Amino acid sequence: MAAYWSRLSVGSRAFLVIVPALLVVGAVLTVAIALLLGPVLDFLGANMPLVRFVAAATAIIVMTIPIAFVIIFMELKVIAAMNLRVGPDRVGPYGTFMSVVHGLKVLAKEDFTPRGVDVPIFTLAPIVVFASIPLTLLVIPFAPGVFGQDFNIALLYFFAIGGMSVVGLMMAGWASFNKYSLLGALRAAAQAISYELPLTLSVVGIIILAGTMSLNSIVQQQAGSLFDWNIWKQPLGFLIFFIAATAEANRTPLDMTEADQELVAGFATEYSGMRFGFFFFAEYVNVFVVSALSVVLFFGGWNAPFDWPFPVTLSLDPGGLGLGLVFLIALAPVVGTIVLGLPFWLLSSRVSTLKALVIGFILFNLLVVGALLGWAFVSAAWVSGLAWMIGKTFVFVFIFVQMRGTLPRVRVDQLMSFAWKWLLPAALLNIFVTAIAVSILANR
Amino acid sequence: MSFIPGMGILKGMALTMRRFFAPKVTIRYPEVTPDIAVKYRGRLQLLHDEHGTLKCETCFQCAQACPIECIDMGGTDTRGRYAVHWGASETYGERREEAALRRAGREVPDPTYVRFEAVDTAAVDRILEDHDYDPHRMLSILEAIQAEFGRLPVAALKQVSFTTGSWYAMIYGTASYYRHFKFEKTIEQVAVCRCTACLMQGGGRLADALATGLRTGLGRVTPDGRIRLAWLPTHPDGAPAPVVALDGEPQPEVTPANAAAWAQALVGEHPATRTVH
Repeated sequence: MAAYWSRLSVGSRAFLVIVPALLVVGAVLTVAIALLLGPVLDFLGANMPLVRFVAAATAIIVMTIPIAFVIIFMELKVIAAMNLRVGPDRVGPYGTFMSVVHGLKVLAKEDFTPRGVDVPIFTLAPIVVFASIPLTLLVIPFAPGVFGQDFNIALLYFFAIGGMSVVGLMMAGWASFNKYSLLGALRAAAQAISYELPLTLSVVGIIILAGTMSLNSIVQQQAGSLFDWNIWKQPLGFLIFFIAATAEANRTPLDMTEADQELVAGFATEYSGMRFGFFFFAEYVNVFVVSALSVVLFFGGWNAPFDWPFPVTLSLDPGGLGLGLVFLIALAPVVGTIVLGLPFWLLSSRVSTLKALVIGFILFNLLVVGALLGWAFVSAAWVSGLAWMIGKTFVFVFIFVQMRGTLPRVRVDQLMSFAWKWLLPAALLNIFVTAIAVSILANR
Repeated sequence: MSFIPGMGILKGMALTMRRFFAPKVTIRYPEVTPDIAVKYRGRLQLLHDEHGTLKCETCFQCAQACPIECIDMGGTDTRGRYAVHWGASETYGERREEAALRRAGREVPDPTYVRFEAVDTAAVDRILEDHDYDPHRMLSILEAIQAEFGRLPVAALKQVSFTTGSWYAMIYGTASYYRHFKFEKTIEQVAVCRCTACLMQGGGRLADALATGLRTGLGRVTPDGRIRLAWLPTHPDGAPAPVVALDGEPQPEVTPANAAAWAQALVGEHPATRTVH
């Protein structure tokens, strides 16, 4: 037996080992699934809220990565365009992989812990800062049925958890053993506490109007057209909310915590590598979160700004085609590729047959994906809702980026006096006016 | 409008929004080369550090990158190797040779002390006397000197300047203005006539054929520096059109058809100076 084995080639040996192993594993898995599927499904069904929470938390944490990459890329490209530059255009088509490469660079850097820092707190701080952001994403409704959890105190939860990032910043600044870090952290704490008040008070008007703190209900109450959105009822509230949210997200012109010209890099001075990256990862996700909350509260959430003018209802029943369906699946790609590639092949003698076929294949795929997306947009409410929600959110992200490209940073005393002398009284005024209007309209 | 709070912010946002859609100024360099005028002269400047020493380390990277080879250097650098000279090759051309010699460890001749060769000044004096020492007749004086020496030697021009009292620069300017004057003996002059009759009968084609055959352009010398292709100042008497002159002698047998072969034969008379491509 051993003699035969030694005469076999490497590939044959691998084949002889792998195929039986796969057979055994497959058999075991089949038996295990057959035995365990029922009980596992029962268990999951019995604990649906838990399953939902785990799934939502996983989805949200995974979601933050593309969101941050897209926003970083937007920031590079949009600010470059506003400076009359082209911006990154080397990595990937139109420089789209720039932020990914940026992230890889940060990941590959040395993760350095300076001497003198309070190591456990220093290590925990970026985690605390980052953790608070996806936790706030949990309550934001993205589309009908697409949300992490529907609390009846969602708004309260949002502000409570959102304020947690300041704890992380304070930890980072205090543990860093660096005066600039400590100054940045203290500024962050002062600023966050000052702006937390107008931020929370500015949405009290909405809570009075809606009669609930559930974000889902608030969005549902804004259903209809453009003019049913809360922005028409609470313009002052939106203004205060937006300014305070800018400060909460530590964005220019209110990014006193960073202030590289004054504080080196604020609380992040002593951080390097991915721990440094986590602070800014959190910041960019925070921009998305704050934009999403603005849309949910004031701009109708997932609601379209108008009724869809063409009431298209596609009731496709592929099963009705019978045997034709098989032919469609088998023939449509081939026919589509040839038909779409034919014009290129005919029009130019420089396009070879193979190139024309490749062009046809790509066009066919684009066509099919476009048709599928259009079909999903028309027929599934959550697809169109998600599209509107993401679209509106990125309009706000764009405004945040544009503000960074436009406005200079304010002074720290201007920042504080503006919060306490202007924003807070305005927010209180907004609450009084809303309350009076609501009571008058209710008693009439 | 300035009394409305937040108006400045809106104005700024509007400005950045306009800029967002404005055409961009970035030039994607390796793909797109900037449109630089032919006569553009980049200004060269050597930088000094805070102690007043040259930062240049004579690494020759700039000289290698320069497309028209206008940067060159030699001498002592910050490590005591070379003194750095730099500039256009017209003014610092000889330094190129210097640098090459110095790098090869050979003796560097100092061109400041290379004197011009002496000529027989008696002939110059005779010519000047014939012209009554009159600077206003400088053109015919120079023509007579060229007829005497076959060229305009520097010593003769110095003598003219010294005797007539006119500036050397003026004499040099006159001599370099007219194309039929030449300063070096070795250069043969192949000249094409550009009178209207010649141009109508194919003078342009003749000139092109000569330029091809000599591998040079009009008004320039051949790669070996021996033959200059030029325009004739006037049409020679009794010559057919179009006409070519070799050192002022009309060559009636040269036509546009055989001009290239003729020019090649002229170059080929000296096989030692044939350039290899």
